[in-house]
Amino acid sequence: MPRIGTDEWVEQQELRTEYYTGLTAPARRAFDRVGPGPRFLTFLAICALFPFLTDSPFLIRVGVNVLLFALLALGLNIVVGWAGLLDLGYVAFYGFGAYMYAWVSSGQFDIHLPTELAIPLVVTASALLGLLLGLPSWRLVGDYLAITTLFFAQIFVELALNLDRLQLPWMDEPLDLTGGPNGIPGIDRMDILGIELPGVRDYFFLLLIVFALVVIGLYYVNESRTGRGWRASREDPLAAELMTTPVNRLKLLAFAMGAAIAGLSGSIFAAVQTGVFPQNFEVVLLIMIYAALILGGAGSISGAILGAIIVASVPEILRTPENARFLFYAAAIAVLVATVRPWQRLAVVVAAVVAFGAVLYQLVALAWPVGVEGELTGGRFSGLLESWMVIPAENQELIGNIAFVLLVASVLTLTLLRGDARLMLLVPTLYLASFVWENRLIAQPSVTRQLLFGAILVAMMTRRPHGLLGTPRVENPV
Amino acid sequence: MAALLELRKVSKSFGGLDVISRLDLHLEEGEIVSVIGPNGAGKTTLFNLVTGIYAPDGGDILFDGKSIVGMEPHRIAKLGIARTFQTLRLFLNMTVKENVMAATYGNTKARVWQSALRTPFARREERQVDALAEEKLSFFGKRLIGYRMQQPAYSLSYANRRRLEIARATGASPRVLLLDEPAAGMNPVETHEITELIARLRDRGGYTILVIEHDMHVVEGISDRVVALDHGEKIAEGSFEHVATDARVVEAYLGAKAVREGEAAE
Amino acid sequence: MDFFVQQLVNGVTLGSVYALIALGYSMVYGILKLLNFAHGEVYMMGAFIGYFVLTGLGGASSPMLPVAPVLILMFLAAMLGAGLLGVVIERFAYRPLRDAPRIAPLISAIGVSFFLQASALLLFSAQFRTYNTPQLIPFSTGLEVGPLRISLVRMLVIGSSIFLMIALTLLVNRTRLGKAMRAVSYDREAAAMMGIDVDRVIVATFFIGSVLAGAAGVMVGLVFERVFHFMGFIAGLKGFTAAVIGGIGNIPGAMLGGLLIGLAEAFSSSYISSTFQNLIVFGILITVMLVRPSGLLGSPVLKKV
Repeated sequence: MPRIGTDEWVEQQELRTEYYTGLTAPARRAFDRVGPGPRFLTFLAICALFPFLTDSPFLIRVGVNVLLFALLALGLNIVVGWAGLLDLGYVAFYGFGAYMYAWVSSGQFDIHLPTELAIPLVVTASALLGLLLGLPSWRLVGDYLAITTLFFAQIFVELALNLDRLQLPWMDEPLDLTGGPNGIPGIDRMDILGIELPGVRDYFFLLLIVFALVVIGLYYVNESRTGRGWRASREDPLAAELMTTPVNRLKLLAFAMGAAIAGLSGSIFAAVQTGVFPQNFEVVLLIMIYAALILGGAGSISGAILGAIIVASVPEILRTPENARFLFYAAAIAVLVATVRPWQRLAVVVAAVVAFGAVLYQLVALAWPVGVEGELTGGRFSGLLESWMVIPAENQELIGNIAFVLLVASVLTLTLLRGDARLMLLVPTLYLASFVWENRLIAQPSVTRQLLFGAILVAMMTRRPHGLLGTPRVENPV
Repeated sequence: MAALLELRKVSKSFGGLDVISRLDLHLEEGEIVSVIGPNGAGKTTLFNLVTGIYAPDGGDILFDGKSIVGMEPHRIAKLGIARTFQTLRLFLNMTVKENVMAATYGNTKARVWQSALRTPFARREERQVDALAEEKLSFFGKRLIGYRMQQPAYSLSYANRRRLEIARATGASPRVLLLDEPAAGMNPVETHEITELIARLRDRGGYTILVIEHDMHVVEGISDRVVALDHGEKIAEGSFEHVATDARVVEAYLGAKAVREGEAAE
Repeated sequence: MDFFVQQLVNGVTLGSVYALIALGYSMVYGILKLLNFAHGEVYMMGAFIGYFVLTGLGGASSPMLPVAPVLILMFLAAMLGAGLLGVVIERFAYRPLRDAPRIAPLISAIGVSFFLQASALLLFSAQFRTYNTPQLIPFSTGLEVGPLRISLVRMLVIGSSIFLMIALTLLVNRTRLGKAMRAVSYDREAAAMMGIDVDRVIVATFFIGSVLAGAAGVMVGLVFERVFHFMGFIAGLKGFTAAVIGGIGNIPGAMLGGLLIGLAEAFSSSYISSTFQNLIVFGILITVMLVRPSGLLGSPVLKKV
């Protein structure tokens, strides 16, 4: 972590050029030399190739989801990363954008605005809503704002669920605003300037264009007086105010812009899904967006994008047990590689875990044969695990649950230990993790997802608050 | 000539404690005035009142003849009053140059959409802001320019951070600078530099300066006029010699016994 | 009139529960200036623990022990379990972030809250569990005084809440620990310098707050019978609202706030509409925050600049 008053900049400059050794060194040096512009263009080019590399509409839809997510993360980055405000109601803007687009482009009220009108309308309305919700930030600080916005997100879902029978005094029949739990189906396909967008692939490219424009625009805004104003407000609102920065107005601006981007994404989402439902906008999604931002690095555009890619792809990979299993073990190995050094130690740990499992399996097979007669959830690699992973045929759920609680306790204990003790506990913990995974989690992707994102938030904030791509911050000793 | 900054019978109390009582103070354009007094005399509260952090309970504060009571702090700063803080309050995670650029917000006009689209106006304004920041930073000799400008503010030494705090305040292009203990925590060499710096700020920069200081060497070296406060009231005003030897001032700092001993020694 | 009195009783019952939850929020905020988002989930776990103890003892229809010991065991287990959970959360999710900027422990708290919800979903599945209270304590037992009809269960809930709140007030005002807690809430560094073990005080605060939440969980289980993994979220929001209305960091305020929210909810859901009862509570929150941010009994905090 950087320290106040220590001129590390000069030292670190040398460190950085010396850092690159090995095979990837020339590539990394080239990467450093190239500015953000060419880097982003390269990234865009790779993304643009994506729909041509696959025929599966499912995969392209995943790509669409990733882009939608990236937009959401970028919008939240304005509010949380740049302006430093904790807005837990962000999902509501996404939902509002989607529902509003549904109102003006479907059979609900029989309004079918042309897309060129609908989208700006939705974006403006979302920005206004953002202003409205941001007004409490005038008076409220951090925590209060957080809870108020969270409450708002909950209210939004409740309103969406219940405003299908709104009986206003002057009306004969109740008004159906939101379609209730069934949402609003049958949303028009977008049609921009004569170009129809009938298929998922078309929406992918639309989103890619929108995404590119948003990233470029945000990059410039961040480098401008507005970006400086936000950052100054985050650093020290009082000092910023006294240095001619109207902090409150900038807070509102952040809310409005974040909301506008969310609303824009929402409208495209509605068109892609051709329907909107209250379940799309629950708190789970909010946690995911936050996990993406915190994981990637709040305050950094590239961080938001990286976090979004990771967080949006994980649920898709978890859907099929094959891919899920691959992801689990790949992630476990990645974490190990990142934390256990040098490689000799790592090798020992891995060998120990394999041995531990094999031995345990044999012991259980002898002592309680039922314990190993259960079936592994199918797919690739299950053959590898057969003589290693204990799968009970009876009480699988109960044993798995107990193992889960033990696993959490074990992981927490690991954070308290150091050195050899830590390595020793790591071995059974890893096996326990695999055990819980194979017996309970692999078959429940949505719960696994939720566990993962909650854990990411805690782990990142306590270990690496600046995320993967963010820069470590120094805090004012107030 | 009307004073640039004027306080008339200003009062402020917090929960029953009168921190400032019916204070009259004026600052003419081009002056350097020092405010001295023991801790708790109300000096920083004075600054907070002038910059709009607190509103006075009574009296009026006029800047260039117009009352600024009740104005939002960022408005007052835009009018031309900038300050530094007793405990540094830099934007630590922003670079040295960005700290100064941040202070130009109120004097620039580029809107969000102009910045996002990088219109010619926005680009031109950015260049101006950039040049202004470099100009303000070069006021401090070689210490804050060159590669330093891209360094995060937290990596600076203590003395440089104090200088940056002043530089940032000048970034707002103010007419009046309020410096709150600029020499706090500095060694004699640095203190001497600060004294020269403050004089240069007035002579070359044209700023009118109000300084809170405890270090009497600095006060002596820079002040056109000194104002002494104690318990929120003005107890002496005049040249440094006049105020330093004033009986009430000696008593406030050193106690009544010291006054008697002083008189006995004469 | 009957209806009105009935809603009054409902409101007070609900209010006592919210007050207990609000107390946990208030105490932790007073001491750490942190909103413990996970508090709602601690309450939820308390409710589940109570359920499992009840089931373990044979269930509501055929308990192995007489009613009173069953209830006592349920409460004790839930309170202890919740207290322990609160302590663990503090130790691993908040303590490392003691000196970090405010936003950090808040995000960590959200993460914990979500993780606990997901854990409950994993361990207990999405199925609603029910306490089946009428089997244990028939609805007919209770008090009838004129228009006032109050069942034994509700009397139990209100009574134990009052008991716990009195115990807490005594603890804070009359014991050394209470004094230490108050000292730490005013100025943590100064308290440390006066020889107070700040870590222990903080742990104690979390423990006590969580114990109260656990008790609230069992109470809700007894009165409303349904226990499910998502119940902590909404109850947490309302508990927080209650704490803010009363003045966050203020113990009598939390009690008052809880009562007000309980009454507001009971009356608005019966006289206005039950679908929008959360909206009404939200409206109350916004109004109080904008009109009197320090709450009804709170005092505005002065900060030295």
